[in-house]
Amino acid sequence: MRAFGIIALAAVAAAYTLFGQDLAERARQRERSGDVQDARQILQRAARGAAHDAAALAAYAEFLDRYRDPGTRGAYERLLAALGPSEREQRVRVARRLLELDLLVGDRAAARKHLEAHRAAGGQLAVSPLPFERDQPATAGPSYIEIPGPLSSFERMAAVSQDVGPEDLLPALARNVVTNGYQASTSSEALEPTEYMKLIQRYLSQARELEKLAGAEKVIRIDACESTKTGELLRVLGYRIRGACGSELVLDTVNATRAFLTLDAGFPLAELEQALRTNRPFEHDFKPTRVAVLYGPDYWITSKEKQAAAFIDVFLSDPSLCRLYLGFSKLDRATADALRETAGMARLKPFGHVLDFFGGMFEIRGGKAEVPGGARCGPMWAEMVGVSPDQGAAFFERLLTRDDGWMASFFDALARINGPAKEYLTQPERMKRFYMAVRGRVTSPGPARPVFRSNTDMLLLTTRVWLEADGRPHVPGNLEVWKNLFIKHPHGKYDGRLTRAASGWKEADDLVEALFGLCRKAVENEPLKIYMALSDLNRRRPKPLEPATVDRLAREYRAFGAQYTIFSEAALADATVLQFLDTTQSISRIGDQLLRANVAGMMQAQVGLWQIFCRQGSIPPAEADQALAGLLTGIAKVRNSRELFDSGRAGVKLLLAATRSSERASPQDRLLELLAGVSQPGDREAQNQVTQEMMRLFEAQRLVRLDTLFELADHLEALSRGEKLNTALVNRLAARIGEIQLPRASLTSLEKNALAYGYWTERHIESQRKVNLRSASERAAKDPEEMRDIRGQLAPFLRDTLVGLNYLHYAPPGGQILQTNPVFVRSHDFLGVQGSQQTWRHTEVFGTGWPSSAGGRLEGSLSGLPYALAEAEQNFMVPAREQALIWGDLVPQLILSAKIPRWWNVTPAQMHWVGLHLRYGESLLAEAALDPRRREQLQETLERQAAPGRTHLVLQLLAESEVRAALDQVTPAELFLLAAAALAREKEAGGPLAGEIRRLERESPDRINYAAISRAFGTPKPTLTTSYQPELLHLRTFPTLMGFSSRIMAESWESNTLYWAALADEVHLPPAQLNLLIPEWTQKTVEKIFATHLEDWPAVLRSMRLVGEDVRAKMREQTAGEQRASE
Amino acid sequence: MKAIARLMMLGAGAGALLSAQEGQRPVFRVKVDMVVVTFTVTDSKGRYVSGLKPGDFRLLEDGIVQRIATFAEGSKPVVQVLEDGSTRPFISPDRAAPKPGPEPSADAFVGTNVFILFDTSNYMYRGFVYASDAIADFVRGLDRADSVAVYTFSRNLSRAAQLTRERNNAIGGLRKAVAGDDAALYNSLLLTLRDAAKVPGRKVVIVFSNGPDNASMIAPDDVRTVAEDEGIPLYVISTNDVNKDPISSAVFRRITSRTGGQAYWAKTWQKQVEAFESVREALGNSYTLTYYPQPNPNEGFRKIGVEVISDVARKLRVRARPGYRPRPGV
Repeated sequence: MRAFGIIALAAVAAAYTLFGQDLAERARQRERSGDVQDARQILQRAARGAAHDAAALAAYAEFLDRYRDPGTRGAYERLLAALGPSEREQRVRVARRLLELDLLVGDRAAARKHLEAHRAAGGQLAVSPLPFERDQPATAGPSYIEIPGPLSSFERMAAVSQDVGPEDLLPALARNVVTNGYQASTSSEALEPTEYMKLIQRYLSQARELEKLAGAEKVIRIDACESTKTGELLRVLGYRIRGACGSELVLDTVNATRAFLTLDAGFPLAELEQALRTNRPFEHDFKPTRVAVLYGPDYWITSKEKQAAAFIDVFLSDPSLCRLYLGFSKLDRATADALRETAGMARLKPFGHVLDFFGGMFEIRGGKAEVPGGARCGPMWAEMVGVSPDQGAAFFERLLTRDDGWMASFFDALARINGPAKEYLTQPERMKRFYMAVRGRVTSPGPARPVFRSNTDMLLLTTRVWLEADGRPHVPGNLEVWKNLFIKHPHGKYDGRLTRAASGWKEADDLVEALFGLCRKAVENEPLKIYMALSDLNRRRPKPLEPATVDRLAREYRAFGAQYTIFSEAALADATVLQFLDTTQSISRIGDQLLRANVAGMMQAQVGLWQIFCRQGSIPPAEADQALAGLLTGIAKVRNSRELFDSGRAGVKLLLAATRSSERASPQDRLLELLAGVSQPGDREAQNQVTQEMMRLFEAQRLVRLDTLFELADHLEALSRGEKLNTALVNRLAARIGEIQLPRASLTSLEKNALAYGYWTERHIESQRKVNLRSASERAAKDPEEMRDIRGQLAPFLRDTLVGLNYLHYAPPGGQILQTNPVFVRSHDFLGVQGSQQTWRHTEVFGTGWPSSAGGRLEGSLSGLPYALAEAEQNFMVPAREQALIWGDLVPQLILSAKIPRWWNVTPAQMHWVGLHLRYGESLLAEAALDPRRREQLQETLERQAAPGRTHLVLQLLAESEVRAALDQVTPAELFLLAAAALAREKEAGGPLAGEIRRLERESPDRINYAAISRAFGTPKPTLTTSYQPELLHLRTFPTLMGFSSRIMAESWESNTLYWAALADEVHLPPAQLNLLIPEWTQKTVEKIFATHLEDWPAVLRSMRLVGEDVRAKMREQTAGEQRASE
Repeated sequence: MKAIARLMMLGAGAGALLSAQEGQRPVFRVKVDMVVVTFTVTDSKGRYVSGLKPGDFRLLEDGIVQRIATFAEGSKPVVQVLEDGSTRPFISPDRAAPKPGPEPSADAFVGTNVFILFDTSNYMYRGFVYASDAIADFVRGLDRADSVAVYTFSRNLSRAAQLTRERNNAIGGLRKAVAGDDAALYNSLLLTLRDAAKVPGRKVVIVFSNGPDNASMIAPDDVRTVAEDEGIPLYVISTNDVNKDPISSAVFRRITSRTGGQAYWAKTWQKQVEAFESVREALGNSYTLTYYPQPNPNEGFRKIGVEVISDVARKLRVRARPGYRPRPGV
């Protein structure tokens, strides 16, 4: 590839006399300024105008290649045709590039042609012949069984995605059987089938009856309405004919059980009815589905079972078998083969649950087990497991069967990580020590017993432990802080044994050991959460927090831990962190509940705005600390509503000053502008659209403009000096108050009694509805001080407006709740149900479903507002396909990732750099299909991200020239890393794509580097990193975890934004458009996801790529239309 | 004429300046659109009264008499009502001045756009197949001029069949519905109303559910407000006993009566068929008037009154939505 770059450049240089240097430079300038379309046209015209000018053709083809344009292959074809016999090396390179592109799109015919061209030009490949040149597949196919009826019907009944093919059906089915198929029996110790399982079994029975009707041809055929077969078919389906054959005929249910199966399985009943009504023949293909079975059915069931029932029935009836099958399906083929040969099915079956949860990282290479820590840890693993890793399968067999899964879970947690943390944790003696801590004395129940993996904390700890420069783990504060926490914890002991041991701790390892020890507890593991949160904070700080600050943060974590994400928004002084805690405590001491809720709401809303402005760069980093301290100082002194209003107003002023706003600017408009995001002059249109949407929701929430509130306050001050009442101004507020309605006037008594509307919420809204400034001012006419106090009545409105601005900033796409429930913002409950003390806890969705609520609302603090809003809104998304449902837990995080980051300051070059990485990553896959050395390099990078099973699948597909299929298995985040690794490995080579990446880096080294791109196109990970700052961490995709479901998995998913950036680059959109389009594309992605289970991230990948294809198709159509119009 | 079509597309709304701002600031106003009023007239025995003409009605908004712009009865073609009270066939804008774009055709104003929202949640598991039969019957029996969409819902909405005049498509979509999961009735009803609001012409939403809702974020009365403001009558066919879930029953009564629709309790399949028959009859016998609101300072709820002028003895009963709120806009 290196040679290609040099040759291509040489070719271009030599031909500049024809192509023209000024033309190339002009195109480059247009591209650099973001006008890619113009650059393209310049190059296109040059290429069209000179059909034999290799330089012009090369420049155009490479340009298209960089932007993943569908015309790339055509452009290279023209270049190839233009190259003369003497330009042999160039022809070789161009033909090879064409071959790679053909493989990427799966065009085998073209690949054969270009392979010939490559050979004809004298090119040689490392592998010859290529696998696609052979007629027969090189590898043996799997064994199959048949299940009755179409695949789609079975998948509908089994709740398996319609995207799952027959090769992958059984693992998906096995998972559903394990999680949904059986439940504890009330009458015996045995499991009993759930309704889900009963329906599948009934369906199979019905399908077999239909199969008989379908006859040898396996086609259900009804020739005419009066046919004798009609009655039989309808009987099986559970329907009967009402009316005579002909237009009056209607099909009615006669057997509800059968009819339910008919509909639920998607039998074409409407088509049958229509055929009978019109007396036309009806045909329905009812061929059985061939389903792949790993190792064939004989491995899984006994001959006795085989005689008694079909494989599918035995499979469905045995959840343990399903669990083992599921575990095996996660292994790479070689490892699975070795394990199968060493340990029989009967031996492994009781440990299927361990294999399922913790076997995914097992890998045998050359007969030896790959173990975390590599060769240096081999002896220690041998000692701990009792079998040497050199014995490959025997090692894993023993690992599976030891201590009910504790050691396997430890192995899994260590195998998932890379880098210095892995080095530290796998130091042999330390590794054993930590294992002993997590294993404990009593091993049962093991971590694989529950429905979700219960070793959540260990996975989080190993992923997030952060090492100092000296290789030791970071200890926030110092060891004394942690000893004290374990010994004198304010809320009681965490663990008696650890409390006793803590006094003897001497080094960081002791603390880490204790944290591992707590990982075995299925209940809340507070010290670990504290450790991770405070480590996260220190990781981002230029100077770590002082021990005293850490001590206080650790002790008050239970009460205020949800607020700690605030401290990661900027480099705060320890004093400001402590001031924050002081302020929260002083607010919590306010006795008047309504006032407390308003003060807490006002404070959190202001701090929320400060967070947004810090994150978006509106508040310069150097001033962030001072601004927060100023806000806290103001609010901490509040003792009544008048002071609250004044403090709120002062806070707005302070925020405006900190954001360098003009003093003459309207606070309302300026804040909205800041919330929309700071944009470049050319991006005003996009910014206006964001602002307009926020204003629409502001109106829908009947919030009162800040200008109006401040004007009223000033007017009350003027009244206290004896000025006349401004009726118009007062009426403006009165009119808005008149629009604030609780939907209770028309409710029946029963409804009112059944509602849990929220006592404090209702009182908050009622108190606003009772405000009558005119009458209050008349009553206070004689007392100037009393007149000034009236502005305290405006404090709840000010709170709601500021809280509302936070809501609007994070409003998910669609915003149906904010648009429809006019008191949604006002209903935010900062106190929670009596006794629950929600004020400083994470935001939660409360009161879904009627009649438990008068519309759901949010409660708690604003710290989790983005997630909670997305969670509340997710069920308004409409799945694009029947049966698919919106994926709770994952979807809110996807939405959050689309709403929190803003891309106003992203440059076209940054976006292009990301696009080039993904394009280069794809090319590396294609190269790997042609060159085994490339495959090895690719494996090295990919196995740091993907489990061995997937890595080997990708390698196998590449070895078979199935580049397109391999690409389907690789995420955009992984493509990005593949490119980054190749660029780092080969400093000069890589061809035009790599050359372009390096050129961009050289041009803007401050903006185009991996750290800057991480900030620009990363995702926020509030749970994983205690921060809303977007970043790329390049973690392995997490599995579902107890206590988090898919949330952590979603946070570790970094592909979306990278993919969207590359897509926007590809279709030449300006970066500012990302602010509008990423939320929209994300919503479409969510609506197209058709997942089978909670770890089905490939479904997210598929959906995202579908949306990308739609966008490309629309843009192509639009471009073609524009071209037609211009011609 | 073009304006009429566009305004009908927008649905309801009228009003005045809400808050004027200075300079470049955006201005919030309420939209001055055409208001659509769909209603039925029954005699003292509850029988539908048909054959009434535009001149038989007096239309009031907050007591202010309004001039009727268009008039339609059942599925008959829409007529334009002229200044002198005479009528002439409504000519669609595309026929008058054909233009590309999403302008509605004259056809859009003939017949009713019926949106059926079918509860396929776990709560409907037992009666799922019978409900499907009843809905299929209803779809088959709709007037040829009517269009129908079939939506289903559990935790999420599913657009099983988009608005179509092809009955087979609608029934095909219905028969592919899948049962199961939580019920978010009011969320889904809201989304259905939002879809219906985008369609020109007369529309109704028919909900087929047994009532429980355990997943909605939106309260029934917020949804009812949207239906009122958009002028979309809601019909509910509940498969539950009226007394079994009195809270849902009260909600169903309220949201249907306030939008000019009706609620039915039909536990058996036969009752469901009868309920659908009744809805169909109501659609066939309903009148639709449109008007541009006269100047009205009221920015809140505006009461709509439809009177039958000829009914001096006041024996006839008009069932219409009680009013609407003008929509704010940027």
